[in-house]
Amino acid sequence: MEDDYKFAASTFFAKNHPGETCGSNGLPLTPSSITILGRSQRLLQIEHPNLCTYLDIIRGKHERIIVVAEVIGKALADYTTKFSYEEIVNIATQIACGMKLLHDGDIIHRTLSDDNILLDSNGRVKLFHYGMFYMTNEGKEVPFPLGLPRYFSPEAIIGGGGPSADVWAFGIIILELFIGKLWNNLKPSPTLRRILTLVHSNNPAERIAREHYALDAYKGIPENIRGIIEKCLRIYPSERATFKDLHSELSIMNTRTPSEIKPVRGLMGCKLQYLYHWWQLAGGDIQAELKKNGLIKNSPPILSMPIAILLDGPTIGGKTGALFDRRIAKYSLDLLKNRLSHIPPSDFYPLMHERRRDYEAMALPKIIRERDTEYQFYRLLWFQRLLHGYPYTAQCIRSEAEIDIPPLVRGDVWAALLGVLGDIDTHYERIDKETPTHTDRQIDVDIPRCHQYCWLLCGAEGHKKLKRLLKAWLLTNPQYVYWQGLDSLTAPFLYLNFCNEARAFACLTAFVPKFLHKFFLKDNSAVIKEYLAKFWQMAAFHEPQLATHLHDINFVPELFAIPWFLTMFSHVFPLHKIVHLWDALLVEGPSLPLFMGTAILRQLRDTLLDSGFNECILLFSDLPEIDIGECVKESIDMCRSTPKSLSYRRFTNEPEIKDPMVSGVHLGQHELKSLGPQSYKVLVEAVRMNKIIVVASAEDGTAQLFSSYLVKCMVARVCVLQGGVAALHTHVPSLFITQRKTAIK
Amino acid sequence: MATNRSAQRPNGAPQTKVCQFKLVLLGESAVGKSSLVLRFVKGQFHEYQESTIGAAFLTQTLCLDDTTVKFEIWDTAGQERYHSLAPMYYRGAQAAIVVYDITNQDTFGRAKNWVKELQRQASPSIVIALAGNKSDLAAKRMVEFEEAQAYADENGLLFMETSAKTAMNVNDIFLAIANKLPKSEVSSGGAGTRVLNDADAPRSSSCCK
Repeated sequence: MEDDYKFAASTFFAKNHPGETCGSNGLPLTPSSITILGRSQRLLQIEHPNLCTYLDIIRGKHERIIVVAEVIGKALADYTTKFSYEEIVNIATQIACGMKLLHDGDIIHRTLSDDNILLDSNGRVKLFHYGMFYMTNEGKEVPFPLGLPRYFSPEAIIGGGGPSADVWAFGIIILELFIGKLWNNLKPSPTLRRILTLVHSNNPAERIAREHYALDAYKGIPENIRGIIEKCLRIYPSERATFKDLHSELSIMNTRTPSEIKPVRGLMGCKLQYLYHWWQLAGGDIQAELKKNGLIKNSPPILSMPIAILLDGPTIGGKTGALFDRRIAKYSLDLLKNRLSHIPPSDFYPLMHERRRDYEAMALPKIIRERDTEYQFYRLLWFQRLLHGYPYTAQCIRSEAEIDIPPLVRGDVWAALLGVLGDIDTHYERIDKETPTHTDRQIDVDIPRCHQYCWLLCGAEGHKKLKRLLKAWLLTNPQYVYWQGLDSLTAPFLYLNFCNEARAFACLTAFVPKFLHKFFLKDNSAVIKEYLAKFWQMAAFHEPQLATHLHDINFVPELFAIPWFLTMFSHVFPLHKIVHLWDALLVEGPSLPLFMGTAILRQLRDTLLDSGFNECILLFSDLPEIDIGECVKESIDMCRSTPKSLSYRRFTNEPEIKDPMVSGVHLGQHELKSLGPQSYKVLVEAVRMNKIIVVASAEDGTAQLFSSYLVKCMVARVCVLQGGVAALHTHVPSLFITQRKTAIK
Repeated sequence: MATNRSAQRPNGAPQTKVCQFKLVLLGESAVGKSSLVLRFVKGQFHEYQESTIGAAFLTQTLCLDDTTVKFEIWDTAGQERYHSLAPMYYRGAQAAIVVYDITNQDTFGRAKNWVKELQRQASPSIVIALAGNKSDLAAKRMVEFEEAQAYADENGLLFMETSAKTAMNVNDIFLAIANKLPKSEVSSGGAGTRVLNDADAPRSSSCCK
């Protein structure tokens, strides 16, 4: 059945840079496959009824690129029956409609041909492979020529041509639909010669028809559509019609209304990107299928070696560039259908008021949940619904994000969590991202070192985008300056919004005031100092033994924790870990990083306790494998069990805590116990039960002495009450019947 | 090459002194400070070495004839903004390598400023080496060897052109520093040199004074 195949893959090799060549900066040249990957991200965003949606661009071994895209029906070239006038007008209208969108987005097709125009039994037309020319940087990144010779316009043959070359190809295609395949038995070079001879003709279309002994058929084409063909097949590109004009003209002629197809319900009605994602989770393997169909053939590497290498460099023999492999492998969705066959139809349309909480996978770690087909099925559909309702569902999105965020919509969810709203595109558009500034050199040297293991961020496209984002942020935040590390901080947002710079920018803009208020001031020493001091306090609060040890060996956070907090860990962890860390950060709020730092210390606790200064600092210079899932869990636990006022910082945008006692323990809610005559016993009991110990004294000095003594004794959860006994007295006068200095709650 | 991963007792030398020195790397960003250290300590080179924020710490041991020299290396951030942190790292350092990029004249100017600052602020006995890094990119050279050599001679600096990428002169510059450092008996030099017995190899140290 036609419906069984939703997408297909094709594959080709990108150009290989010769040997050890380096760019002007001494760094290796970016591999062509990386450039292609970067450029093609934009194509993944295109959705249009007449364009096959690109689903994935995969980088395989040895510069192999695999393109996965939607397919429907079959190619025009595969239809043997002739089309009627109405059918042709309908096909042409839809092609023009798709092409109009491409040209509006400055994407040149260049390879429009009858084998990449797909038509299904409902008369729907979709263009396939329309991004080849664009993703390969006008063919520069691949070793083979693009396109079929008979659709080349004269100027394209001699190496030029812009969008209007596509108009020529379009004209040839309609002409072929009427009078049959052109230059059928000719080899490429005679075909090209024939096309070039057309330049002397006043009416190339008619001349082509005459050359094919089809003048009568040509004259028989209804005048309106013949006019269209002739407007396309003009020798001078500037004289050709544009797809905008062609589309409006054809739409008037077209008698068929396109919206006759009933929308599909159930699984097949889900977003194609989701289907592809679930199919992969269910075990679908693009590469395996390509191998099975012989599109990927593994030959021993020795066969691709040259037979001889001359002393001065040139090679003889070996594998030479093949032509573009036009075959495609289609994929059946049966695998996914079977996997999800037990799901009742109503589950495809989750209702806001019927939220399910009991998924089987809930108990599993996040990383495994992200790979669970069924769980992702439910989560994605649910988040799709919530995101659709944003901003009204903001609260709901937050509480769902607390559980986990489906990787496929992480970019959308983060933007929602950060409260990104409004016309961000126009705002971003208006910012000057080009004018050189003093900071450019620093940005230029930092970007090629920022998360370069990531295929998206290491290409030219990624570098350009990151630079624009940084410049835009600096320009709109004149109170701040560029600190190294801002690049790392921006990277996760770019990574998740690679084709939506405006949203990446909006996210960064919302993130900094919330989490890094005043961190990027020219003089940020006070801010950093406070932050590190808070971090050290939290460490002492939760890990007194460790804190004491580190304090004793003079291992201060200034020596290792600045990159942690200045970049919210984005400089110290790889992206796949940062996303999980930030998932929690965005939900829990700005004090969580303090506890993340503490959780990292806790994870390395045994090693740190056994080590001296050098070993400790070495450990942090080369941060070992940290279990991020564990770190997130621990930090949230710590964060929630710590009185808010303890982690309160002066340099923050958060509202001040409205506790009359400032130090934040809501005394009214807790049972307070004065120590009484057997103070030691009460204290030991409190420590055993892991209670929070609040030290209050008439003098601040005494309270501090006693609390640091407790910390040295490895008592956790000790804090000092600001205002001391006086504050206590005001709020809980009854406590002071026995007049003791220390109180326990 | 005289580098060794750990202090080893050379044959037939029963008494080897172990000296510990604090060394700091300074210089404009992206001149290759971290790459030099990585090459020296781990023998590796990463094309896309990440930028350093704050500072990074590494150690490496060199064997001289009768002494084992352990370097505690502070690799600092290059960006001018992090300048205020630098004293924390060069305070008490016995050696410094000031790095510039031979393909960029500005970085040489910055290196000179660092030398000036060290001469003014750091310990008076500090051994300073000047490293013209990226010598593999000699085709794009903007700082002449002679110019840098003359400057180094004038200021009494050790000088070498290095390449972290090809490993050229990397170990040599550390070795030259090790040779120039005074390996006096007992930690009499107030700067913080510590001479330890081979037996109680450095477990913990208090390098941050």
